[in-house]
Amino acid sequence: MNGQNEENLKELFERLISTEEAESGIEDFVKAERILQQYPAPEPDEELITAIKSDIVEAIRHRREHSFRRLAYRMAPVAAVLMILAAVSVRLFEKDGGGPAIITYASIIPASVWDSENIAADDADLAVLTAEIDELEGEVLTLELGENGGNGRSAVTELEMELVEINSDFWEG
Amino acid sequence: MTKSDDLAPIIDGCKAGSAEFFSQLVDIYKSRVYGYFYRLTGDGELSDELLSELFVKLVGKIASYKGGSFESWLFKIATNIFHDYLRGKQRRKKLYEARKNQLESEITEPKRSESGRIDKLQIQLWKLNDDTRELIMLRYYSQLSLKEISKIRREPIGTTLSKLHRGLKRLRELME
Repeated sequence: MNGQNEENLKELFERLISTEEAESGIEDFVKAERILQQYPAPEPDEELITAIKSDIVEAIRHRREHSFRRLAYRMAPVAAVLMILAAVSVRLFEKDGGGPAIITYASIIPASVWDSENIAADDADLAVLTAEIDELEGEVLTLELGENGGNGRSAVTELEMELVEINSDFWEG
Repeated sequence: MTKSDDLAPIIDGCKAGSAEFFSQLVDIYKSRVYGYFYRLTGDGELSDELLSELFVKLVGKIASYKGGSFESWLFKIATNIFHDYLRGKQRRKKLYEARKNQLESEITEPKRSESGRIDKLQIQLWKLNDDTRELIMLRYYSQLSLKEISKIRREPIGTTLSKLHRGLKRLRELME
């Protein structure tokens, strides 16, 4: 028993039992302790200690294997979920990009124009073109009548060619 | 008592799964824990088993040691192992009783048992009740303070002190 314990004991005896019994109490402790020291228990065999150390090595190895297996069991469902997700993603990707291409055609002339009763009103570009044609027709008429006083025939030819060009441009888009 | 500063690297090594550090731990505590088991059972072979069980169990339990008095933690496990042994199997319990009766019959004439010597102290210890014997052995071999022992035994420190005092006084009378 060390000094610190003795001090604690005295204090404990005084606090928990009685001051008068503290001295004799400590004496009982010290003397009984001395008796226990006089009769030491046998030491464990060295063979036993060697066997225990060997068992510890085995237990550590087993524990490591068990930990690895437990980790593998834990990770397996996660890996399975990831693999399923990956497979589903690949299939979805293939569906989006890998399938046969569907070619769609877009008309440069809106469908509404074909159905329209008044084309000029339904299509702004066409309205502009129509206005230009009207204007040119007016000019052609003027030239044919010789109202502008110039070389009417050649001017008309030029205008007609211009009209043909505009017409061609229109249909080419 | 081993200083906790000296023990810290050993315990850290054990927690990391080093057999070498476990080996050091065994060397530090083998005598005290073996003595504790031996004085409680009076049986060398059984003490061998319990000591082995304790240290192998430590491999799995060391991670749960979160600091504080290592001796307190270790002897708490040792006490639990002893209690498990006592109440574990009916067959073992019967053997324990048979062993106790056998030892009581040997009181008048101490002799060598099959597993080793039976000294005067061992004979007188059997005259104490189980709880008192266990308390005295825990105090002596663990070298824990009364406060720590009362914590392990889950009883007020005054109760522990009183029981221990009575037990030691009785043992002293028996031995003198």
